[in-house]
Amino acid sequence: MDCGTCESATPLQVHKPEEVDVSLTMTEKATSMLEDAFGDDRSHALLVGVLSGGCSGYMYDLQIVESTETPCQELNINGFRVLVPSASSHLLDGIEIDYVDRLMGGGFKINNPNASSSCGCGESFS
Amino acid sequence: MGMARHDAYVLLVQGSSALPFLDGLSTNLVTDSCTTAFTNRAAKIIDVCEVISMTGQAVLIGYGPHKAHMIDHLSSRVLGQDVVLQDITHLNDVFIGSGDTPPPSEATVHESHFGTVYVIPKRVEWKETWSQTEWNEHRIEQVIPFHGHEITPKYHPLACGLGDLVHPNKGCYLGQEVLTRMRSRGKQGYRLEVRENPVEQATTKGLKRSLCIVRDQ
Repeated sequence: MDCGTCESATPLQVHKPEEVDVSLTMTEKATSMLEDAFGDDRSHALLVGVLSGGCSGYMYDLQIVESTETPCQELNINGFRVLVPSASSHLLDGIEIDYVDRLMGGGFKINNPNASSSCGCGESFS
Repeated sequence: MGMARHDAYVLLVQGSSALPFLDGLSTNLVTDSCTTAFTNRAAKIIDVCEVISMTGQAVLIGYGPHKAHMIDHLSSRVLGQDVVLQDITHLNDVFIGSGDTPPPSEATVHESHFGTVYVIPKRVEWKETWSQTEWNEHRIEQVIPFHGHEITPKYHPLACGLGDLVHPNKGCYLGQEVLTRMRSRGKQGYRLEVRENPVEQATTKGLKRSLCIVRDQ
């Protein structure tokens, strides 16, 4: 097979939506859970990203990170550093980060006004 | 025994996230080379592709007429992940067959769900030994569904005999809820069959027998 690495094969244009200035909110319950997770240490940040996949095509990706090489918008929400990757800003503008306290299917939950549908477990949307 | 020309596109998927990216969007578990189906939310087929895993990259081989839709489907889902897509269709020819044809040294050979796939650089002269009719006769004999016949956007993978490509517990992907529901309820609507001629609405018409997709009773 010729793979194009020895001769130039132009990379396909990946659909790049316009970056938007993200605004997001966090419920009291989610804030309280983050306070438990972070303690007094505010050097880390909450990374709220989107990956491809899941039942609906896009999946939320929440991580606690010190830093990231991914280009991000940095927000300060209720005293926490929140990072939103620029590449997924159009999917995350206006979201509310909530925390649902129940034995099954509990945990952080994203309420997203941009989602036309989401799967039952709430991790995936389109 | 032999091999036929396959109207295929060849995409190079580079980057450390290449395999997880393809895995997250398709029905089979993509951790290595395999055949997998890309479906939409309704579990209808977008394309069924060969994934050839190579060091640091993967090669995706799909059906030529589905190329534009697949590229659109994939490229809109690269969200800052380490994935670069390249179209290398113009550099390669793709053949598919029964696996007993010795390939040239430049060939990449992949064992697919449908048979042995050969990816040959266009600069290398290699001729098919089977006509499309002979390939179809082989498929009917082996009950192998294929692109443009049984595998079309009209059907979901279970209907056209691709249940083996739907991993039972790999987790979420587009169309997974629909396919899982069909399996758990034992109702998939349609199924692939081989029948003696004459066959009404055959998807692949053979000399004596044909493939068709029939409604489940």
